[in-house]
Amino acid sequence: MNARLLLLPLAPLAVATPAWATTYLSVEQAQALMFPSTLLTPDFITLSDVQAQAIEKAAGSKLSNRNLRAWRAADGGWFLVDGVIGKHELIGYAVALSADGTLRQVEILDYRESYGGEVRLPAWRQQFVGKKAGDAVTLDDDIKNISGATLSCRHVTEGVRRLLATYAVVLAARR
Amino acid sequence: MLSSSPPGAERSVRRARPLLGTRVDIRVAGLDAPAAHAAVDAAFAAIADVHRLMSFHETGSDLSALHREASRTAVTVHRHTASVLRLALALSRESDGRFDISIGHRLVQSGLLPAPAGAATPDPAADWHDIELLDGDRVRFRRPLWIDLGGIAKGYAVDCAIEVLRDAGATQACVNAGGDLRVIGPQPESVAIRLDAGDASGTAPHIELENAALASSCGHTLRRSCAGTPAGPHLRGAHGAHIDTDLTAVVVAPRAMVADALTKIVLADADAAGPVLRAHGAQAWRHHPREGWHALAQTTAATPLN
Repeated sequence: MNARLLLLPLAPLAVATPAWATTYLSVEQAQALMFPSTLLTPDFITLSDVQAQAIEKAAGSKLSNRNLRAWRAADGGWFLVDGVIGKHELIGYAVALSADGTLRQVEILDYRESYGGEVRLPAWRQQFVGKKAGDAVTLDDDIKNISGATLSCRHVTEGVRRLLATYAVVLAARR
Repeated sequence: MLSSSPPGAERSVRRARPLLGTRVDIRVAGLDAPAAHAAVDAAFAAIADVHRLMSFHETGSDLSALHREASRTAVTVHRHTASVLRLALALSRESDGRFDISIGHRLVQSGLLPAPAGAATPDPAADWHDIELLDGDRVRFRRPLWIDLGGIAKGYAVDCAIEVLRDAGATQACVNAGGDLRVIGPQPESVAIRLDAGDASGTAPHIELENAALASSCGHTLRRSCAGTPAGPHLRGAHGAHIDTDLTAVVVAPRAMVADALTKIVLADADAAGPVLRAHGAQAWRHHPREGWHALAQTTAATPLN
């Protein structure tokens, strides 16, 4: 085992709106993974004021979106897709609930992060060659790993809590 | 969709879940898609198990049981918890207390951890010497104290996940738990190091890694103001001062648990870290925005920082 630290010289960045992202699973892939061989029926709901208030009260945090992306599973469970926005990141995630509303699985679907400084790094900058300003760089193909700030998943945790409250307030009655 | 590759075709699967208070990212290659997903599921489950056992907050964790009872009677812990405690105590010995998991009460004082419910009141004079690991994975405290495994358990969880993936037959895999990461397989990986405390040198740090683990630690994002001075999550041992939150430590070691824990010794004392790093076959670097990079304990001829 011998590791090397490489310090690559920087050059000014040409791209105006730095952003980079990883896509882990599409909605369809997450459905196949979390509800294998189970029929899922879309049941998209726009939450009313009363429902939204009840959810926010139960979960202890604000809803950013009244449109609930829900699929009802043939086994009585629910597949839910949501997104949360942090200071520097945007995280899409999917949740599987059992027929009794218990949390069964959480999978991150995609992750986008935007920091001012980082994309000044040349190895990352090179990945912007041929990409338009604002295009997201795909971490999977371009940048393998990053170590440094331990990014909190607090927003996802809060989002999951809101979805569980949404089940209790709205979905449990739609059987 | 998932079955778009022909059966048996090797492809790479990459997934992430919110675990260990961060985003845990797992990549695996060398398995067909169903086997890869099953292996990744099992790896995530292994990480969740470690989290449940070693959580400071969760009332059902081994730590909660220790905080409640170990100052009165010996408590049997899971073999995972015992493994982490064994390395933690060895590192405390080797670093003369610069690494010390008995700092839970200090982190609660700083507002970085909530006070554990139902725990015995910690003795401020207690430190790692007061933790006894007995036969049969039993643990006893000589004085009441609160253990925090935040500086080592995440790395251990990464190691457990890697073992699961290796046992499943993965030829290449990477587990990254918010910067504590380990790579197995013939392909070297390049890891970009993010410096939270900033850097004015005009360079971009990367580390190339092959069949090894990497951890980086910096107190910057978790720092609090404590009596007007910045208080980070890292302390120089149980009774020592807060460590400069602008310092970053990067350690490469054979296992993620070792890399994770060694970053704390590197932050606490670069000189004292040298022998400990060498004893564990590790390499390390320290960075400060004012001083730049400094290499410690290189295992072969020193790597030029060009």
